[in-house]
Amino acid sequence: MSCKKIDQAKNIPENVRSGPDASSTNGETSSRRTFLKGMSIGAAAASAALVTGCVPGADAAASGELKLRWQEFFKKNYRLMTQEEKDQTVDRLERLAALKHNQELQIGTEPPLENVLYGYAFNITRCEGFMECVTACVTENNLDRRTNTQYIRIFEMEPGQLDPSSGDGQYYHEVPVDNKFYMGTQCFHCENAPCTKACPTRATWKEPDGIVVVDYDWCIGCRYCQAACPYYGRRFNWGDSEVPKDEITQKQHYLGNRKRPMGKMEKCTFCIQRTRKGKLPACVDACPTGSRVFGNLLDPDSEIRYVLKHKKVFRMKEELGTEPKFWYFID
Amino acid sequence: MKKSIYHITRGMLCGLILLLVSILLLDPRPGTASETSLLETIKKVDEPFDDRSVTQVRPIVQPTVLAKEEYQGGSFRVLARKQDIERYKCSSCHTAKEVRGKSAFELTHGNVVLNHGQEGSALSCIDCHHPEELDFLEDKKGRKIDFDHSYQLCGQCHFRQKRDWLGGAHGKRVSYWAGDRVVFNCTTCHDPHAPKFAKRFPATYSAPLN
Repeated sequence: MSCKKIDQAKNIPENVRSGPDASSTNGETSSRRTFLKGMSIGAAAASAALVTGCVPGADAAASGELKLRWQEFFKKNYRLMTQEEKDQTVDRLERLAALKHNQELQIGTEPPLENVLYGYAFNITRCEGFMECVTACVTENNLDRRTNTQYIRIFEMEPGQLDPSSGDGQYYHEVPVDNKFYMGTQCFHCENAPCTKACPTRATWKEPDGIVVVDYDWCIGCRYCQAACPYYGRRFNWGDSEVPKDEITQKQHYLGNRKRPMGKMEKCTFCIQRTRKGKLPACVDACPTGSRVFGNLLDPDSEIRYVLKHKKVFRMKEELGTEPKFWYFID
Repeated sequence: MKKSIYHITRGMLCGLILLLVSILLLDPRPGTASETSLLETIKKVDEPFDDRSVTQVRPIVQPTVLAKEEYQGGSFRVLARKQDIERYKCSSCHTAKEVRGKSAFELTHGNVVLNHGQEGSALSCIDCHHPEELDFLEDKKGRKIDFDHSYQLCGQCHFRQKRDWLGGAHGKRVSYWAGDRVVFNCTTCHDPHAPKFAKRFPATYSAPLN
């Protein structure tokens, strides 16, 4: 059995262990956990070698992909990774995308900026329902085109109504219609987010800059968070997402617009891949009426703070105590 | 008799102390944030954020000019306008030289459809354009106004919008929330001759939620 593949498979546990936590595994008293981990990896790799067949001179790309996929399978929750581990997984994801889909991606792991808490305001007087925010969001975040997944919804509202569930979220006619107003919803990035408490695997949490994110590789797709969200802010991937190759946004973030596997939750991330570089979210950038205001809540000179200070603002379902960081305001 | 009263009061005291301790231990208020706490914590921060600390901000590509107004005590820039005006500079045509009848239509701005102001008080060219110095606009006090600084003119009537624009509740920033503030000019979004957005079909539609 001088098979190349088995040799490689045997090497895998070494590679996995060679992380910064290697000190715990190198000790003579290896814990039950690390023992099982090594066992399971070895067994899985051996079975994989059996499944794929041990043909001498099998094509190297396929075995490389297999190796990457195994290493991906045993990675940690994003919050427990060191920067080195983050760089490794991002590198693997980029190589996998190149191998499997021939895509050149740049996946980032930009950490939250200091003294920043993101806030959002939506002008219900100005929005005219053109929905250019929605198309910009779909393109930026590589949303599934087949099921027409959208993070943002715009509702056409009767005057005097403030609850979007009473509005029309499926209009398609010339806008704006006289005597109607338009109200957009998306993930409100609650400071006291109920969705993060519902998650059984801690795959969703609030980052220090206030963005509620999902670790797509730790999500098990139970959809408890979707049930817990009072704002219908979360979306579920029923199938493998389909994005035309020439429309893929290549600048991605691990917690943002990278490819979501089938059966995972996803949601608006305030375009984490843009905002952590100082850019505006795609919806704000695309809005033709200037109804969307985005900025740093911890900066007294920011636009969002001006809105909170000088405008009549309200938040949706404020009585729930979820503390959304998304305000509606009127001129 | 006296002894029993003493016992009762002692018992009551003990009970009271127990009650107080239990209240302190089992605080009925939830440990989560109260309704105003987010706003309170936000308002406590009064030190300006160092916009330069976000190092990945790149300079704006479009031409900009330094605004002649202040934003929350600081200066800011607006997108320039002149390079987008097709036939600027106006004075290159508006001279004393004769105009041939043949090219008259082309030269008389026949393409401009004016739809600004309510019926009955609709604006005409001369309400905004300088009657003599055609490279400039003119406000109601007769001051020359540069095309790049049209907010000085628009703000005469639309003073509420201008106030909001200065603060950041009207209009929008260019590309970045961090870095030096660069905002859209009035005319970046609004056609000054017909400032209201035309009705059109939305860019997409929404399927029902799953």
